[in-house]
Amino acid sequence: MSIRIRSFVHADLDAALAIEDASFPRPWTRGMFAQDLERDDRMWLAADCDGVVQGYAGAVYHAAEAHVLNLAVAPDSRCRGLGTILLSELLDVLRARDVHAVTLEVREGNAAAIALYESAGFHAVGHRPGYYAETGESALVMWSDELDSPGAEARLDALAAKARDALKRLSSESDTTSGSGAGEEPLVLGIETSCDETAAAVMIGGSTLLSSVVASQVDFHARFGGVVPEIASRKHTEAVVPVVEEAMQRASENAGRAIGFSDLDAIAVTYGPGLVGALVVGLAYAKGLSFATGVPLVGVNHLEGHIFAAALDDPTVAPPLIALVVSGGHTSLVHVPEWGVYRTLGATLDDAAGEAFDKVAKVLGLGYPGGPVISRLAAEGDATAIDFPRAMLHSGDYRFSLSGLKTAVINHIRREREAGHEIDLPDLAASFQAAVIDVQVAKAVRAAEEYSVRSFVLAGGVAANPALRAALTEALGRNGVKVTVPGFELCTDNAAMIAAAGTFRFLSGERLPLTADAVPDLKLDAD
Amino acid sequence: MSAVVLALDTATEQIALALGVFEGEGEAEALRVLATRDVLAPREALSSTLPLLREIFDESGLTAAQIDSVVVGRGPGSFTGVRIGVSIAKGIAHGLGVPLFGVGTLDAIAWGIAMQHEQPLVVGIIGDAMRGEVYPALFEISPDAVRRRAPDTVGAPTAIAMEWAGSSEPLLLAGNGLRKYADIFVSAAADGVLSIAEERFWAPSGEGLLRAFAAARLSGETGDGDPVTLLPIYTRLSDAEENEQRLAGTTSATVPSSGVSDREGGQR
Repeated sequence: MSIRIRSFVHADLDAALAIEDASFPRPWTRGMFAQDLERDDRMWLAADCDGVVQGYAGAVYHAAEAHVLNLAVAPDSRCRGLGTILLSELLDVLRARDVHAVTLEVREGNAAAIALYESAGFHAVGHRPGYYAETGESALVMWSDELDSPGAEARLDALAAKARDALKRLSSESDTTSGSGAGEEPLVLGIETSCDETAAAVMIGGSTLLSSVVASQVDFHARFGGVVPEIASRKHTEAVVPVVEEAMQRASENAGRAIGFSDLDAIAVTYGPGLVGALVVGLAYAKGLSFATGVPLVGVNHLEGHIFAAALDDPTVAPPLIALVVSGGHTSLVHVPEWGVYRTLGATLDDAAGEAFDKVAKVLGLGYPGGPVISRLAAEGDATAIDFPRAMLHSGDYRFSLSGLKTAVINHIRREREAGHEIDLPDLAASFQAAVIDVQVAKAVRAAEEYSVRSFVLAGGVAANPALRAALTEALGRNGVKVTVPGFELCTDNAAMIAAAGTFRFLSGERLPLTADAVPDLKLDAD
Repeated sequence: MSAVVLALDTATEQIALALGVFEGEGEAEALRVLATRDVLAPREALSSTLPLLREIFDESGLTAAQIDSVVVGRGPGSFTGVRIGVSIAKGIAHGLGVPLFGVGTLDAIAWGIAMQHEQPLVVGIIGDAMRGEVYPALFEISPDAVRRRAPDTVGAPTAIAMEWAGSSEPLLLAGNGLRKYADIFVSAAADGVLSIAEERFWAPSGEGLLRAFAAARLSGETGDGDPVTLLPIYTRLSDAEENEQRLAGTTSATVPSSGVSDREGGQR
């Protein structure tokens, strides 16, 4: 089929109104479109597929700012990249007209759209409660990065690459109208309960996200300074049904058709590594669901999910690559020669990186989780102020040790307090953070060299740390290695990554037997 | 009118499963047990329950899609064990779009004993609550009725033994807590008052679950059947929260249904 992005014209109104009606509880009217098309501060584009309009996007722009007014794709054509193509083209055109920043509102429940905008560098800055009067739903207000900043340019380039891929894929399809595109690719429900987030997601073909729901328990653990396993297990038991239910409902809304359990090709569930009591809740539920519906069950390694999150964020990510998975529970450097094959080069011998941040924050009375607050303080501090040990920096292998550093920080605090000195929190945070980062970066660089990879993935909750991102990107970039860091929602625990890895496992023919147990220390590497 | 019911309980070391069918209406409603499995399988609830379920379906000639409702033992028992049973049951009920009902695990044990006794009797169930504690519950039983005297709770075996020893009525004891604490109850009781049930009656059975559910149906105490709101009976908070309350001097007698105290309840 032939696809063209062109200007939206009056002759497109009938097709657009049909898509509008099928897409929104409060559709634009013919009059609204007609009026808007007359104005010269507007930019309207149409996606023309073999002469039929299958989607459109419109924006108003003034001075250096633009506001996306509308973006819609015909139900039959959804989830195939048409939205990405339209958005990429719209942002390009706006940029060419000297627009530096773009804003938009999106329905809070529209995970697919939010994911699309995030991939283009938009981030949520606020909510408008009850914005959509018909459904009472809130709108998420999103703003783009400064379009000319280096980060935004890289994002837009990646988006354009994604759009080109989608265009190529769509152009090679012979039949567009049957809506069979989705049926060819497996529809997978992902379930994740390995730590303190109850999550479910529905995905087509391992990459097109229809919904992703995460119920965080962080408020219930915060006052204990860390995850309390028994509380986590209780909250999972409470949340698993409503979280899956919401993921299924949102998937139906975003697909424009009813999706029930019987439409699923597989149920993917995390069975390790993680807290055993937490894992068993998701696994037991998933087994019951699989037994009742006859939908096959696929087991996913949580760490493999984190690595797949990078490919979900940027489809150009491909092995061979090195992945550094850093979170509250994990610190592992992994060589991935091809998808599904993992060689763990080294892991922490004691505390995970996120755990070290949490423990230091706890000693300083900064609350939980420790990562965000320490990274904020560190941004204002002098990283060379205190010379904390870089454990295992010269160990000649890829293992990490963080408990010594944690003890050094605690001893430093004690000494300073006993000496009556006031502790300079920013300097302490920056020095501690630098000690963590230095070792991670040194080992990452060495691993990329030793295994001659050009691609590096940083994943897990600690990947949200800006200093770690920057240091890795800089050090590896010098050697020509591209670093991919998934967006925040994909870095922290989620089920989209479990659905993505689960789809890969499902297509490889793997199934989890009903006798399977949770494996709290599940290894990535095959025996 | 008939309704097929799947019942399961993994709150103790025993996996208890049953398929039954309710036939007839109202007072004339009768329960027919189609297939059961009661298997002692410590720490195997997650790995063994589904294969055993498959067996009872094969044996009864039914498929999962023919189930009209699911019944699960809500404990109290092993926290992880009861969560495995409840989560499996949630998955099945949610997947089929059928109601999920709960019965007390100790009630199912009491029903298992009632089915075997001709004479009215008081039964004391002592569930093992770990950490030196037990889940005690007293039931008045007859072949077709079981009446619970008090809600589920948790306590020290010596204190419960003293409390129960204060009564002169004959008492039949059962429950997996007896494995550790039978002596405490025997030595506290007056001569000739106490007897101990055969060990095969100490854990819930598939048929006991179905009987407990049948009684709840008759008395209209089955709950709303929503798989979202059905939760285990824990009787106590997590250790972390109990310690917190102890330190704050705010130990409360009741545990919220979620088993987790309100987030504002703690102190920073």
